[in-house]
Amino acid sequence: MSQAVSAERESRQPRTKIGRKLGRASRAGFALLVGLLFLFPLYVAWVTSLDTAAHVFTVPPHLIPDFDFNAYRRVWHMARWLMYLGNTVFITAVTLAIALSSSVLSAYALSFFHFKGRNTVFMSVLIVLMIPAEALLIPNYVILQAFHLLNTYWAQILPYGASVFGVFLLRQFFLSLPDSYRDAAKLDGAGHLRFLWSIALPVAKPALFTVGLYIFIGCWNSFQWPLIVSTSHSVQPVEVAVSRLMMAHSVDWRRLSAAGIMTTLPLVMAFFILQRHIVRGIRRGEGLQE
Amino acid sequence: MQARIAESDWAARVGRNAARSRRRSREGWRAVLFLLPTVVFVAVFVYAPAAMSLALGFYHYHLLGARTTFAGLADFRSALTYPIFWLALEHTLLYALYMVPLTLAGAVAIALLIDAQGRFYAAIRTLVLLPYITPVIATSIGWLWMFNPQYGVLNAVLHWFNLPPSQWLLSSSMAMPSVVLYSLWHGLGFNVVIVLSALAGVPRPVWEAAAVDGATGWQRFFRVTLPLLTPTLFFLAVVTTIGSLQAFSQIYALSGGTGGPEYATTTLLLLIYQTAFQYFHFSYAAAMAMLLVALILMLTFIQNWLSKRWVFYQ
Repeated sequence: MSQAVSAERESRQPRTKIGRKLGRASRAGFALLVGLLFLFPLYVAWVTSLDTAAHVFTVPPHLIPDFDFNAYRRVWHMARWLMYLGNTVFITAVTLAIALSSSVLSAYALSFFHFKGRNTVFMSVLIVLMIPAEALLIPNYVILQAFHLLNTYWAQILPYGASVFGVFLLRQFFLSLPDSYRDAAKLDGAGHLRFLWSIALPVAKPALFTVGLYIFIGCWNSFQWPLIVSTSHSVQPVEVAVSRLMMAHSVDWRRLSAAGIMTTLPLVMAFFILQRHIVRGIRRGEGLQE
Repeated sequence: MQARIAESDWAARVGRNAARSRRRSREGWRAVLFLLPTVVFVAVFVYAPAAMSLALGFYHYHLLGARTTFAGLADFRSALTYPIFWLALEHTLLYALYMVPLTLAGAVAIALLIDAQGRFYAAIRTLVLLPYITPVIATSIGWLWMFNPQYGVLNAVLHWFNLPPSQWLLSSSMAMPSVVLYSLWHGLGFNVVIVLSALAGVPRPVWEAAAVDGATGWQRFFRVTLPLLTPTLFFLAVVTTIGSLQAFSQIYALSGGTGGPEYATTTLLLLIYQTAFQYFHFSYAAAMAMLLVALILMLTFIQNWLSKRWVFYQ
């Protein structure tokens, strides 16, 4: 609450110049503190991963990095990280490709084709949003078992092959396209696929990015479902491999931290490169979920 | 919406019913092709399992054995008479009870603080959102280490302020608040982004008029800004409630997969996971899952009903 106090103090604009300056400085100070608090846990893991053996178990904790890369060298040989990382990349990429194309096609059909039962189809897809994922956990396991798909990549991809959010958001975008676009394309002899590819999709780029972002974060960071359906190491994503390492080596903090940093780093880098788009993407997603 | 659909109806412009129905049937087939992937995925992985989960709870289903026998309400009865189920229900609600108010208050406070122009505040906004995109299992390692009662940073901070140390995740009373602390760190940034975008929509003139009328900062916040934020806060309350009832990864990671100490972090979803995939009592777990779903729907319904009393739509 103290942050709110300072924000309000700032906006009240004290009469004196010094008072105003002080208000602005205290607000900036609070903001900096909050920002550092959010960064701190990552910093602690990073420092621990670079500690020398003598600096791990110390009171008070040692918070200056030693730049000793031994923990990384050792944790690298403890598991086939490239394979696990490859699994995560593969599963995320294929899920993205399938879910994006299925939702683009459906959204297109639901906005540019005219057929009986169009609204019924749309509603029956939207109803999916009302069904909590918990209800599907056990029966989906049973279904995948019946298809002999447990312990395959497909077990982690197919249940996420449709994106209701994607269908919904893309449909909104397609419906906002002026009719004249489609009319003009038709006169020029462009079929539906051509129109979709060269006009509708480029216009819907922001929506595609938003949908892709949500699918990407959900898929890359998913844990519970891969934990359940993949017991064989060769198809496990990196998160499941890290959790196994955690359960087995719960006292080797340097190596665990190194593993944590190693698997977090790609996402952090991607985040810093794309952050502006990500913030816009999150906002756009929320506006339309309401 | 209806109007827009009618407007975009290319065929209607042609205005000839016969041509229209011919086009309709031709487009019908194409539509089927375009819709097929989504419809198949939804049918196989949402509708079929949803129907199955209703059935599973009523049967004794054995993963390996062929015997599937009708159980009636037996699984529901044994779930409701299982003390751990009630404990897990209590912990699930407790977790949500911590998460929802703390998330809303925290998001509004932080958003107000960092809602300012300039590179400095932009950098702070980036830092606040950063944890949201990190993988839960990987980042809970650092937190586990911070929670360490002997060597962890958190107890060092308490010591610095001359406060007594805590056992954090090892104490049954502090374990759940510790998980809440992690979850807030991980998820607040998302909520802050949403509140910030709502703040951007607060009309400046209204706010300035209040200032001219002599409203203090607090009055302006409670009488002008907060009411205009209520639709967003309602959205966040619903999303956070559902999200906390579904929390799994952080609880699994921070309790070493056990839900301990002494069941202190055993939530319904963790109990369902353990029952189904560690002890392989599928029907029993399915019955508990149905009860959890009922709880989620009930809470969503209650929130919707309550929203009429506090959400202000312009």
